[in-house]
Amino acid sequence: MEQAELKVGIISCSGEELCEGTISRLATRKVLEELRPGQTVTICLPLFLAGDEQERAFARFHPTITVDGCDKRCAQKGTETHSGPVSASVVVTEVLGPEIRLSGERSCRKLAEPDRAAVDAGAERIAAEAEAILGEPQFAEEAPAEEATAGCSCSLSLPVGEVAIDGRTVSVVGLPLIFQQLAASGVKPEPESANRLLEVVKIYHSVEPAEEAAFAAGLLEAYRAYCATHS
Amino acid sequence: MTEKEGALLIPCSGIGKVHGLIGREAVFQALEGLEREGAETLCLALIVTGDEEALEAIRSRPCITVDGCPKLCAYKNVDLAGGRVIESVRVVDAFKGHKGAKPGSATSLTDDGWVIAGELAQHLRQSCKTAAGSMGE
Repeated sequence: MEQAELKVGIISCSGEELCEGTISRLATRKVLEELRPGQTVTICLPLFLAGDEQERAFARFHPTITVDGCDKRCAQKGTETHSGPVSASVVVTEVLGPEIRLSGERSCRKLAEPDRAAVDAGAERIAAEAEAILGEPQFAEEAPAEEATAGCSCSLSLPVGEVAIDGRTVSVVGLPLIFQQLAASGVKPEPESANRLLEVVKIYHSVEPAEEAAFAAGLLEAYRAYCATHS
Repeated sequence: MTEKEGALLIPCSGIGKVHGLIGREAVFQALEGLEREGAETLCLALIVTGDEEALEAIRSRPCITVDGCPKLCAYKNVDLAGGRVIESVRVVDAFKGHKGAKPGSATSLTDDGWVIAGELAQHLRQSCKTAAGSMGE
């Protein structure tokens, strides 16, 4: 059985009016792609209003770090208001030392050396916060594999569900809660729902493109079983 | 036209897809040369948090939203907050005529990506000028 993977969520402001918004965005991307790939996941902040309950549940499923470009702290406030408690918050202007003077450019094509240094400094801070969360006892690798729950800094206990994919079992953190919300919103355990199930689970769990069809089929079977016992 | 009457270009800046970056960069490019029309951008996150100044701006000025995916975050957030959306632009439409293009990633654009962003910027510039012309009538 594959281990349940709990990822740290990162939500960035991407503020369009300030260069610091670009710094926040790029620092977040650097953590996702280079510094903590596979251990972090993101979601677009505006989805908390434009999306549905599954997307708003993001910060309840993941210990979440918010990244803001200024002290308005839109990512932090937006997450706390619409999704859930925040485990850590980073404001890039507070991370930068006095020696870094930003160019003021917002386009990533026009970033100067100090801007790139700011991205690196911001990314290092975010990665350190993620490390602190992942290093907490409930996330330690030596945690028994048979535990059915995973804790997080939000003091929530996350149930884990299992999906059969191509003859192996994959654990998905939060799956029972995802199924609960989908059932409450009227999603039927029918073939037509398979892609919807996959879309929602992909918000919280990475799925290789080559495995999407098999994952969707496995989710549908798991959801049928869930609905049969929770109707 | 005064600075506070020009159109607001509001991209989704979606962080997960290259389309979000293309929309964002297209807005930045479009704003260069739109000083006379008084066009500006506005942090979408301010609308998410209900910032009063931002809400007043989107309700009093024509808004052009730029979305990178079918979730339409920019359009929906502005619309839900009572903003006046005069055009909802979808980045995917800018890919027509660029079959097979490899635009890059959500972190950086390739040459293909910059070409698409540039074309989208042209469209946005024209939309802002049209809006400015309408308001001047």
